[in-house]
Amino acid sequence: MSARSDVLLWAQRVIGRKDATACQILDIPAGSGLDAAQQAFHKIARMAHPDLHRRTLTADELELVTTAYARAAAAYQELRGQRTVTTRIRAIPGVPAAVPPTTQAIPTAPPSIKAIAVPEEPGHAPNKMGSKALIYYRKAELALRRGDLPGAVLQLKMAIASDPQSQFLRSALAEVEAEVARKP
Amino acid sequence: MSVALGIDLGTTNSVAAIATPTGVEFILGARGERVHPSVIAFPASGGVVVGTDAKRYRLSEPQHVVHSAKRFIGQNTRAPLVQLALTGVRYNVVEGPNQQPIVVVRDRRMTMPEISSHVLLHLKRAAERQLGTPVKDAVITVPANFTDGQRQATREAGRLAGLDVMRLINEPTAAALAYGFGQDREQMIAVFDFGGGTFDVSILQLDGEVFEVLASEGDFFLGGDDLDRALAENLASELHRISRVDPRPHAALMMKLMMGAEQIKMYLSDSEAAEGEIEGLDLPGGRVSTLPFSVTRAQFEAMIAGYVERTMAVTRQVLVAANIDPRMISDVLCVGGSTRIPMVRQQLAEIFRREPNISINPDEVVAQGAAIQAGSLTGDLTSGTGMGARDAVATAGHSPLARGTITLPEITAKRPVLLDVNPATLAIHTAGGFTERLLDKNAPIPIERSRVFTTSRDNQTRVEIDCCRGESRRYTDNEPLGTLLLDDLPPRPRGDLQIEVQFRVDADGILHVRASDLASGQQQEAHLQVLGAPVAPAGPASGVPDDKP
Ligand SMILES: Nc1ncnc2c1ncn2[C@@H]1O[C@H](COP(=O)(O)OP(=O)(O)OP(=O)(O)O)[C@@H](O)[C@H]1O
Ligand SMILES: [Mg+2]
Repeated sequence: MSARSDVLLWAQRVIGRKDATACQILDIPAGSGLDAAQQAFHKIARMAHPDLHRRTLTADELELVTTAYARAAAAYQELRGQRTVTTRIRAIPGVPAAVPPTTQAIPTAPPSIKAIAVPEEPGHAPNKMGSKALIYYRKAELALRRGDLPGAVLQLKMAIASDPQSQFLRSALAEVEAEVARKP
Repeated sequence: MSVALGIDLGTTNSVAAIATPTGVEFILGARGERVHPSVIAFPASGGVVVGTDAKRYRLSEPQHVVHSAKRFIGQNTRAPLVQLALTGVRYNVVEGPNQQPIVVVRDRRMTMPEISSHVLLHLKRAAERQLGTPVKDAVITVPANFTDGQRQATREAGRLAGLDVMRLINEPTAAALAYGFGQDREQMIAVFDFGGGTFDVSILQLDGEVFEVLASEGDFFLGGDDLDRALAENLASELHRISRVDPRPHAALMMKLMMGAEQIKMYLSDSEAAEGEIEGLDLPGGRVSTLPFSVTRAQFEAMIAGYVERTMAVTRQVLVAANIDPRMISDVLCVGGSTRIPMVRQQLAEIFRREPNISINPDEVVAQGAAIQAGSLTGDLTSGTGMGARDAVATAGHSPLARGTITLPEITAKRPVLLDVNPATLAIHTAGGFTERLLDKNAPIPIERSRVFTTSRDNQTRVEIDCCRGESRRYTDNEPLGTLLLDDLPPRPRGDLQIEVQFRVDADGILHVRASDLASGQQQEAHLQVLGAPVAPAGPASGVPDDKP
């Protein structure tokens, strides 16, 4: 069988099974570890990465393969997100949680959407602060990752000193201080 | 025979190359140079001048010379960092439609994609001259942390230059590709890319022909430009002290100090101290002054310490994101001109506990990777193209393809498979001001996920979904991306409708959204206008103004 029909058959299989689990999509036993997931995904990539078929498939076929591949990528990511992490990393608002959250529960009922969007004021994003404040803020972020709460408080205060206007920084500080208060 | 160009469109410098059977061939400027300054001049004498020739106008008419355009492309003019960067340029930038920055030079108004298209067109023409064949297909590199808007704007620049942009790839990934292509390695590497305007660090796992990015972090507003500005500020204070004139409000004067600062900076990468004078400083009132300077490496390091520390903080962060120990990394690639600074290399060595790899050419490796990917996408690729065949790299005016005398051998190397990652978490606004994450940062791309939504009021015929980028659970703490609109829904009791929305980040790192009503199966192409992104494609590719002298 040609590589072309192989990949098309695979893509149809993936797309046909709408409620397949991540492991089923990657074709590995349920409960497989991260290494197995990675190996399986690399195998899929070697066969089905859309870049490899750019010149040999029709536009519709390529779209089919891309969709199947993109779902396999989501399956791989889901399994990666479930890995247990030893370091406890707490995200403060707007800061990338360095590690995907552990098995984030997907709401069973679809979230309802508000009828009309409230226009968002600009100026909420974390990067809407002075560059100096941003440097302190990043340091606070690192301190948090180390679990060093007092260090984080100090850096956030420095950040606020360089950008007193930032509401975002103040709310971040309040959050961290609340966390400190909760600790013995 | 089609030729596909790999282009590293840099903040300071751009490089273009093609993959040939014997290696990577660079596109040369009129003086045989491989590196083309990303500088566009609109001189008083008329026309548009790009590259090395444009640089000399920076002194005579700084307000007509556009440089560092990459810092503004696809950005929102109102973003504070954009405002900060605007203080470092002497040309005029105003806010245009959709809050995008517009360059105003004399009576011309140009978008940032238009500005960048001049650089791309310059490279395209140079390639066509050198290869003797029309060039249309291209792969363009972007910083790994470029946002959706910045990526779309870069694609738009390519389109305006008459290029068919087959793919955008991330700069560190391109460097890794040039390093590992055809080597069949099993190893983990870090790529530290510190250029003129942006900073990226990526961790990759090489598994034969598969290049998997495990994590990537960065700062698209951190580069050599910032270091120049730090030193120029010091020089400006000194000039103020000796001449009693504050040079800061004077465009031409500050430009001269910035250029002086860059030279001092580069000199200090090789020497412990720099001493000399900056001549020909035209002070207001017709006075001409000379500024003597004496800067030690230690003094310069103190001025830039904050910036360098920031790159190291991001590097520690990417190791956490990839969930690996620095000792698992077997090579650290230094990419970008700013990695020539000894302090940067020392601190990198401390983090990884090994000397970084400085044997690759930090200016050219990204374009080399882009050329390999371009060759792979068009199919003209052989194993002789990677770093392994560096000795065979073809040079000046020597192009086997152009002469058509050498037929391409069968593909011998396996085509590389790039598993790049999503630059930032994409989420949507849910009831109560929270977000639901749909596509994680650092997830492999292309990736797709769908979610089912419903209405919250009876007979609701219109649903708006706010999308944002960022990692917070609270919507307002993230950066709004735009609002997705589903219209003309059939009136039903609340909760009755089931609308499936598909979110896909394509291999270029660009978001696409599609919605369908599950009951009727009716499809809607949902449109998301990203703030700062170019407004709907304007006109055909002929929109590029002439760049003939
Ligand atoms: N010897 C040196 N020492 C210090 N800095 C240097 C040296 N050589 C070049 N640079 C700096 O490197 C920067 C240019 O690097 P490079 O060409 O890699 O950037 P770029 O690709 O244009 O930018 P980016 O990748 O950020 O878009 C400039 O700021 C330049 O001053
Ligand atoms: Mg670069």
